[in-house]
Amino acid sequence: MRLLHLYVIAVFVMVVSCTIDKTDYEAEISTETTEYIDFEEATSITSGDYTISIEALNGSLYKGYNELRLKITNTQTNVDLENSEVAFLPIMTDANGNKVSCPHEYNLPFDATEEYYKGYAVFTDESDTTVSWQLYIGFVDNDQSYMIDHTITVEEQTNLNLNMTAFTGNDNEQYFIALVSPQSPNVAENDLVAGIYKYNQPTDPSGTFPDPSQFSYSIVQNHTLLLDPRMPEPSMGNHSSPNNEDLTQQSDGLYHGVVNYTMTGNWTLNFILQDENGQTIKGTEVSTEFTPGIEGEKSELYIDILF
Amino acid sequence: MKRITLAILLLGIFANAQNTPIKKDTLNVVLDEVIVIAAKKKKIETEMKMAVSVDEFLASSDNISFIKRGAYAWEPLLNNMSTERSTVTIDGMHIFGACTDKMDPVTSYVESNNLSDIEIKSGQEGSMHGATVAGSINLKRKSTSFGLNKKWNGGYQTGYEFNNDQFFNLGKLSYSGDKLVVDGSVSYRRAENYTDGNNDEVEHSQYKKFNASLGVAYKTSPLSSVRVDAIFDKAKDVGYPALPMDLSLSRALITSVAYKRFFEDGPIKVWDTKIYFNAIEHYMDDTTRPENLVHMDMPGWSTTYGLVSKVNFKKDDYASEVQLNAYNNLSIAEMRMYPQDRSERTMFAYSWPWVTTSYAGLSMSNSLDVSNISQLNFGGTLGLNYNYSKYVEFNWIFHPGAPQKKTRFLPNIYASYQLNMSGFDFSVGGGYGHRAPSVSEGYGYYIYNSFDRYDYIGDPDLKNEVSYEVNASAGFKNKRASIQAQANYFYIQDYIIGRILSTGSPMNYQSVGVKGYTSLDYATLFNFSLNGSYAILQDLHWKGSLTYARGLDENKNNLPFIRPLSYQTSLHFSYGKFGFLTSLNGDLKQVDYSPEYGEDETPAYSNWNVSADYTFFIKDHKTVLQVGAENIFNTYYSTYADWGNIPRMGRNVFTSLKIDL
Ligand SMILES: [Cu+2]
Repeated sequence: MRLLHLYVIAVFVMVVSCTIDKTDYEAEISTETTEYIDFEEATSITSGDYTISIEALNGSLYKGYNELRLKITNTQTNVDLENSEVAFLPIMTDANGNKVSCPHEYNLPFDATEEYYKGYAVFTDESDTTVSWQLYIGFVDNDQSYMIDHTITVEEQTNLNLNMTAFTGNDNEQYFIALVSPQSPNVAENDLVAGIYKYNQPTDPSGTFPDPSQFSYSIVQNHTLLLDPRMPEPSMGNHSSPNNEDLTQQSDGLYHGVVNYTMTGNWTLNFILQDENGQTIKGTEVSTEFTPGIEGEKSELYIDILF
Repeated sequence: MKRITLAILLLGIFANAQNTPIKKDTLNVVLDEVIVIAAKKKKIETEMKMAVSVDEFLASSDNISFIKRGAYAWEPLLNNMSTERSTVTIDGMHIFGACTDKMDPVTSYVESNNLSDIEIKSGQEGSMHGATVAGSINLKRKSTSFGLNKKWNGGYQTGYEFNNDQFFNLGKLSYSGDKLVVDGSVSYRRAENYTDGNNDEVEHSQYKKFNASLGVAYKTSPLSSVRVDAIFDKAKDVGYPALPMDLSLSRALITSVAYKRFFEDGPIKVWDTKIYFNAIEHYMDDTTRPENLVHMDMPGWSTTYGLVSKVNFKKDDYASEVQLNAYNNLSIAEMRMYPQDRSERTMFAYSWPWVTTSYAGLSMSNSLDVSNISQLNFGGTLGLNYNYSKYVEFNWIFHPGAPQKKTRFLPNIYASYQLNMSGFDFSVGGGYGHRAPSVSEGYGYYIYNSFDRYDYIGDPDLKNEVSYEVNASAGFKNKRASIQAQANYFYIQDYIIGRILSTGSPMNYQSVGVKGYTSLDYATLFNFSLNGSYAILQDLHWKGSLTYARGLDENKNNLPFIRPLSYQTSLHFSYGKFGFLTSLNGDLKQVDYSPEYGEDETPAYSNWNVSADYTFFIKDHKTVLQVGAENIFNTYYSTYADWGNIPRMGRNVFTSLKIDL
């Protein structure tokens, strides 16, 4: 059976000696994106007898949408504060000293099963030498109100799949769209989730800082976000994908739709935001023509992603 | 010496009626007790040229036509149907090309000097090796017999063709001992660009091909033997003028181990089992085409392993073969597009998302001599076909929720009746069979077809293609003349073809839209051929043939790649050691073309060819020298099946020399 030996060796040599390696698809997909699924402590604030721990994905706060989990502990009794009225307000101070906020959940509900206060913030800028972010957190314990403030660091969003955009709508209101999911898309049908928010223009003059009425944001209700994904790369000639679904609001308040990515690379999500009556708030239709060599035109409302 | 004659089934008169290039006597393999591995002295050569490529040899068969994308690796169409509808095997082994653009039909991985003959079966009679609609093409490798008187045999062939500066060297050597047999062959061909009938060079039509084969057989007992075979094929720098890409490298390793056992007594005559493995790598290259807007890498891999085991029975007037066929193939094709700013992220997708095809089939073919002049052939296959798409999310983009795994049941049956009396022969037959969609048809993803300029998308949920077939032939033969007419008709239900999709936009920049593989309700195909020969004088022979085909879809629109009325006529004259041949062949105008599938009307053409050969002896070695010319009038033409209407070769003077060692 020496022949068989030789045969096996020959086959083996041939099979392992492919001149071009096959692509490792899982690695290919994750080169530009990292998926974070674990909540870790992003910051911890101690003030008086209380410690507030804020957890976020990967233990960092990024520009864009951040889901947040808060725990308030009385360090004296070592007891977690449950079912308190917790208020949460992020404030950004820019180079000129202007103070603005960003879309956020102001009153944080308590999740009794998971035992934390749940909220979110859509940070509109990363912290740097001129931009700083401050968190103002208020809570009530034993009928006593507490207010704590703390500087946080908002990091640059390196994952473009969690990109966001802020714009002024045709109704002169300020809107924000932030991508929530997928963090790491596939060449596949992807469930696309985005949060759409609006700044509530204050009607009363400002009270003492921080006056929540000056920094009020709300979730945009019952709108529709029309979707047209395209590859902007000139050689892709305005390539698009089939079977996409526009984003509509679901019970979690977020907007859900379906985006198909036909290959990896740069994609532009072209949007048109329409209100419940079908009136366009922002966005333009883009050409559906296949134009090889010409960079794809974008809607006036879009978010670029990359994976 | 007790002789066992094995009538290989399905064949006999009917195969003769198919007018394949196989002579009838080769179909009845006479197996000697000693000659364990059947030796067949069948030459791979055409009447016109003695040194032909596998493609040129196949082209000499009536029911084979070709889609040509250049000078190399023509895609054989059997009964005017593309390769998805036929099974192409090497000694019964399944091999699948690794190119999404069909640059590498199985026939491109062998060379004429390692083949003994090519067995073509039309329609369901070809289902022995696996489910088919059009039929089967089985490339048979050379295998020398044990214990020949002449222990060492060999041959060497060299030649030069002027049009494309083609130079080839083919060598083979065999050793035949009582216990051991070794067959080896090596060949190398290289060609530059050819020139068309206007004397213009057809760019990107060059190629280089190296092929080597080795077979070693060992006799384990007087009635049994083990044989190990390997073919290594490497093509480099192959141009495809009709495609937007060329081939930088294609490599194939085709290996098998076979055990064969004969039985002296009883109805079981021979049991032959083989396990095999083959791996193909295919790397396309577009750096030769700087005009391309997008640089792409498109590598492909195809790996197959399998088993063929067959038993032959014979008792009185009844002979039968039972065959078990199982294989597993993994097809992978990638595409990576480079943005114009190369620092940007590349764009990646699978055009074959790691598609596994497993097939297991049990086939049986029987022949019964009803009387001295008539024979009944019948048989069938029960097959199970399983597909698995590893990255099924690619398929979901166009077919949300399509299953990742798909099992199909593929039955095939046929029967034919033959009558042969006083020079006349007649046959009628029918068949019914299913085939599963190919990897591209089922799971292909943005496969660019440069013929109709659409990107093609597979559909995992396609139905089986179901063929209903009838065939008939009639002929007459005497010492001087022969005439044979044959016809077949296919009614193919759920005929798979690409249709424009309203969704999706092209991915390849040359593309104009997206087509999805869909099933037509049905399509019909009719093939007819007429052959004649006449010995005008003892040394002057005439041969002629005429073929006609028509293919229609459910709306009575033409199907693509159906050969128009074509003819071939030749005269052969021999005078002593000299032989002369002249032939004329051509197609009439392609009237029934299919604009829907990217075809335009192809005008008529005809080609006139001549050749002369001289046979002499160098010592004891028979030597043949041949000189000839194809397309003598340097006609500028392209045929109905020339991809993108690329022109065919203009006048080509060829020379070759063959020495038997
Ligand atoms: Cu290829």
